[in-house]
Amino acid sequence: MNTWIQTIIDSPTRVAIPIMTHPGIEAIGKRIIDAVTNGETHFQAIKALAEKYTVTACTTIMDLTVEAEAFGATVNMSDHEIPNVTGRLVHDMKSIEKLQVPSLSMARIPEYVKATKLAVEHLNKPILSGCIGPYSLAGRLYDMSEIMVAIYIDPDTINALLAKCTDLIIDYCKKLKEVGATGVVIAEPAAGLLSNEDCSEYSSKYVKRIVEAVQDDTFTVILHNCGNKGQCTQAMIETGAGALHFGNAADMVNVLETCPENVVVMGNIDPVGILKQASAETVYRTTTELLEKTAQYKNFVLSSGCDMPPMVPAENILAFFQALDDFNKR
Amino acid sequence: MESILNKLGECVEFGKINQASPYPPAMKEQAGADELTKEALNTGIEPQNILNDALIPAMDRVGNKFTEGKIFVPQMLLSAKAMNEAMKHLKPYFQNGEIKRKGTFIIGTVTGDLHDIGKNLTGMMVEGAGWEVIDLGVDVGADKYISALDQYPNAICGMSALLTTTMSNMESIIASIREKHPGAKVIVGGAPLNAKFAEKIGANAYGAVPQDDINWLNSNI
Repeated sequence: MNTWIQTIIDSPTRVAIPIMTHPGIEAIGKRIIDAVTNGETHFQAIKALAEKYTVTACTTIMDLTVEAEAFGATVNMSDHEIPNVTGRLVHDMKSIEKLQVPSLSMARIPEYVKATKLAVEHLNKPILSGCIGPYSLAGRLYDMSEIMVAIYIDPDTINALLAKCTDLIIDYCKKLKEVGATGVVIAEPAAGLLSNEDCSEYSSKYVKRIVEAVQDDTFTVILHNCGNKGQCTQAMIETGAGALHFGNAADMVNVLETCPENVVVMGNIDPVGILKQASAETVYRTTTELLEKTAQYKNFVLSSGCDMPPMVPAENILAFFQALDDFNKR
Repeated sequence: MESILNKLGECVEFGKINQASPYPPAMKEQAGADELTKEALNTGIEPQNILNDALIPAMDRVGNKFTEGKIFVPQMLLSAKAMNEAMKHLKPYFQNGEIKRKGTFIIGTVTGDLHDIGKNLTGMMVEGAGWEVIDLGVDVGADKYISALDQYPNAICGMSALLTTTMSNMESIIASIREKHPGAKVIVGGAPLNAKFAEKIGANAYGAVPQDDINWLNSNI
């Protein structure tokens, strides 16, 4: 079994790994655009959080535009908003056949690799880097609404696109592994809009290829699917990823009952409704309730249900960790 | 007549767009929503009956199945596409007033946000429920809603956002709209939103799924 996964499962206390970088960007007085375009700034944001909170591992920015931009997609960036892909890069088999799998020197990939490398070198914690999942990437290149229909109308075209997306993600994950990351959080939210059968066919099959290419005793794949309401948990398990990360739409106890004991299951405090918008008291109470409900499962890791959004109050993050500390003292 | 309308309803419900479409496999090579709507009109069925007796009930079934988790986004989009094929043939009858709609719904993704799958899905489903839909697109500010309301004063507005940074723009957009159109009704939706947030920003309603929007819109008739 992967060393890090084993450490988590063997831990005598419950651990927390929220997916968060935006509070770190705010803590160092930078803008989102600074962090998503500069590996050094990105690293400083991760460092600020590692020093302030008792995180078991550090995560990088969940930016779902990096790989699409490397393929040639246009990305819209603004000072304080998460980047978006605009327009449509490919629309049929011919344009997909012409599409080149980019090298890792394209667009902002080198800056993201740099952030991971600096975090590995300077922070004494496991670093969980990040990338997009194959179906979510294909949706950004083909148009998200159109790919949803095309998997039924023109599946060969979509499979050809997914194969190219997977090739880039494998190269990228190998690089993150090479610079010393403990694992990679593969964000595949669009697959959560599919049935279990479609998720298996158009996402898990390709995620499995990535897992087989990079996961070993020293490197873990954490598959994040915050769109899953419980319908495609089996498809997530099929990937063989060492850890599965769930959004707040999933029932964590049901998920833990479904997942094998040797797979780490992470989730799922609502990042917007609770962590951003609720009071610190509500964050504390909700976190405590989740910890109590999941107490019997050794493979559970407390986390946010998705990337923590910008402008989450610091007192709410402290309440999240306070609930964990108090739970562990019992 | 009933047979054609039943078949047309099935095409919409199961996403059979036209004869050439390979989906669903069980209906391969059969006529789809495109051909059956033409056939229905050619046999003299009233356009209003095609809408009321085939298309709207079919989309209602689709919306309910989605809400119950029996179908997912791809199946719903395929149904919406089939519905759109049928609507192309009915367009002249909407324009000459022969078919009456329930009302007008102005929809957009708010300023700063370029995500449109939720907005598209909701727009298509609402259209399928018998409403005229004015789609303002993405990155839509108050000025565009106000212009649309100037043109369609009795319309209801729908706003979508996927980002936590852009959902906060909804409040000022609603306030600006109501300065010019004080009685304007607004429903909001999007992954990071909830009913509490909708109430806080002054929206009249919150739609977690498209069927919520349809139910609330129908309650305003």
